[in-house]
Amino acid sequence: MTDPLLRARGVARRFGAQVALEPTDIDVRAGESLALIGPNGAGKSTLLAILAGALEPSEGRVERVGGARVGWVPQRPALYDRLTARENLELFARLEGEKSAAAAAERLLARFDVPADRPAHVLSVGNRQRLNVALALLGDPRVLLLDEPTASLDPGQRRRLWEIVTALRDEGGAVVFVTQNLEELDLHADRVAAMQQGRLVLAGVEEVFS
Amino acid sequence: MSRVVLLLRKDLRVLLRSPLLLGVLIAYPLLVAGLVGLVAGYGSSKPRVALVDEDHLPRVAHVGGRSFRIQAAIDEVGKNVHLVRMDPVEARHALATGRVVATLTVPPGFLADLRSGLHSPSLVYQTTRGGISSRVTQQVQALVYALNLNLQKTYVRTDLGYVQLIVRGGRATFSGQTYDVLGLTRMAKLLQQLPRSPQRDRVAEFVRIAGVALTQTGSLLAATANPIGLERAREPSRSSLLSAQVQAYALALTITFLALLLAAGAIASERDENAIGRLARGLASMGEIVWAKVALASAVALALGLAIALVFGVIVEAGNVVGGEPWARLPLLAVGLAIAGAALGALGSLLGALARDARSASLVAVLVVMPVVFLGLVPQEVAPVAGWISDGLPFTHAVRYFASSLYDTSPWRTVGRELLWLVGLGALFGVLARLATRRLLA
Repeated sequence: MTDPLLRARGVARRFGAQVALEPTDIDVRAGESLALIGPNGAGKSTLLAILAGALEPSEGRVERVGGARVGWVPQRPALYDRLTARENLELFARLEGEKSAAAAAERLLARFDVPADRPAHVLSVGNRQRLNVALALLGDPRVLLLDEPTASLDPGQRRRLWEIVTALRDEGGAVVFVTQNLEELDLHADRVAAMQQGRLVLAGVEEVFS
Repeated sequence: MSRVVLLLRKDLRVLLRSPLLLGVLIAYPLLVAGLVGLVAGYGSSKPRVALVDEDHLPRVAHVGGRSFRIQAAIDEVGKNVHLVRMDPVEARHALATGRVVATLTVPPGFLADLRSGLHSPSLVYQTTRGGISSRVTQQVQALVYALNLNLQKTYVRTDLGYVQLIVRGGRATFSGQTYDVLGLTRMAKLLQQLPRSPQRDRVAEFVRIAGVALTQTGSLLAATANPIGLERAREPSRSSLLSAQVQAYALALTITFLALLLAAGAIASERDENAIGRLARGLASMGEIVWAKVALASAVALALGLAIALVFGVIVEAGNVVGGEPWARLPLLAVGLAIAGAALGALGSLLGALARDARSASLVAVLVVMPVVFLGLVPQEVAPVAGWISDGLPFTHAVRYFASSLYDTSPWRTVGRELLWLVGLGALFGVLARLATRRLLA
């Protein structure tokens, strides 16, 4: 068994009186592709956001082993509508500490085929999602966290996304993705974690498909 | 490049790409400033005061042997107070319902007492409490002062007539009887005709000294009646529309509106666009995000404030207004604009973080900005509570700073004090905003 890149211990999240995530332990290991599944409101997005560092847990902690960099693709695109795709990429590249923000932006624009100089708010849903994924790849993350990343992508873009994800995993990185799509689960998941009512109820592909 | 600068540049770029929003943000406070000016003008218009004449004063009264034009004196005062004649019942009702702010009653026997000169008659004044009553009281005191001044002149002239009679002699009428008064001058001539003796010389010396002393009586009486005079200088002065206070209010109101709304909207839109989560992953701390919004408000306040000061200056110079525009003070004004903008930006960030979404944040900011501004406009002597609350908000301190930095001969004390207030309030609101940003991640 490989070493974990992300280690969550007892992470929980409450929004006021509502419990979104019960105390949960989970490891994300190098070279694996972990799928998070479960019904709506099960706590998948909350767990993913906590692993990404986008949401503080009410209790517990997340450890990035060896300072592993993490990329995050939230379900709803996280970008600035009034900026162009290029400007969004350059801004976040600088914030990520990329040495050449312009070059990084150019590379990702070409890779995801996103219209570069149009404001994000006029882009199609698919293009916005591609930009959302491209933003997550800035800073060369070793762990990629994706929340239903293919929901608004066309088949070609889905295939391209999974190629990128697979390459990252094969290079010793790790991928965690939330999905409702059994085909994606079957094709791309090495391990499955099922969630229900804020609890991790199953962990392992065999249990899910048995 | 620091993260704060990166976020600030992003916000400025977003702002410049929203020309309609920018236009409204600039035009709206200027419009409000104009309306406030109009309201202030209305507020300084003549208050209505009921005049109850229970003595049926004539238009012209004869006091001390001279004509005294009562109506003309009242008309003169009417330049400051709108006097409305009413009967006693109507006046009481008008005061109770607020249709007039005061009643001024001339009681029966007023004119008779005045003519007798035995004791001073009184006018009876009644007003409401609070509001503009202190101002109305001053206006009515001015009315009584003006009436007294006219009467004093009449009395002084009458008294001087008597003095002249004693000095020069002549015919005079008292209580319906005519007398021939010898007078000091004629008395001195008569004394010259008497045989010389020590007694005659002593009386002649007294007559001479008394004559000299009494000729000074005129100016002495005038000075006693009116020890200090007030003359209006003919030199033209600055229009009130271009006064230091109006300039300070226009600047403060504009940047208050702009900074609050911009900062509140900008921080809330980080959540609306879901970018806050991406930033929170270690790309920028919540403190840095708040700093960026504070810097945005500060930069915009500085730019717009200097533009407004420039426009004022051009108008002042073009109109050759007395006093001119204090161009040399613009750097000092710029410091105040930046700091006031930052303090207001911190307050706006707090509102935006609490409101969470941009639409609510804008609405809350608009709702908050009005009381913030109007509390600062209420004179502290009228409503002390408003003054205390206003001291806890940046607007009042910004007004004081701007007025002092532009026009005080020695502004450093005021500027320093208000700067400390603005920095302190900015720090307080900034810390609260930083704490409130946790809500943005929820």
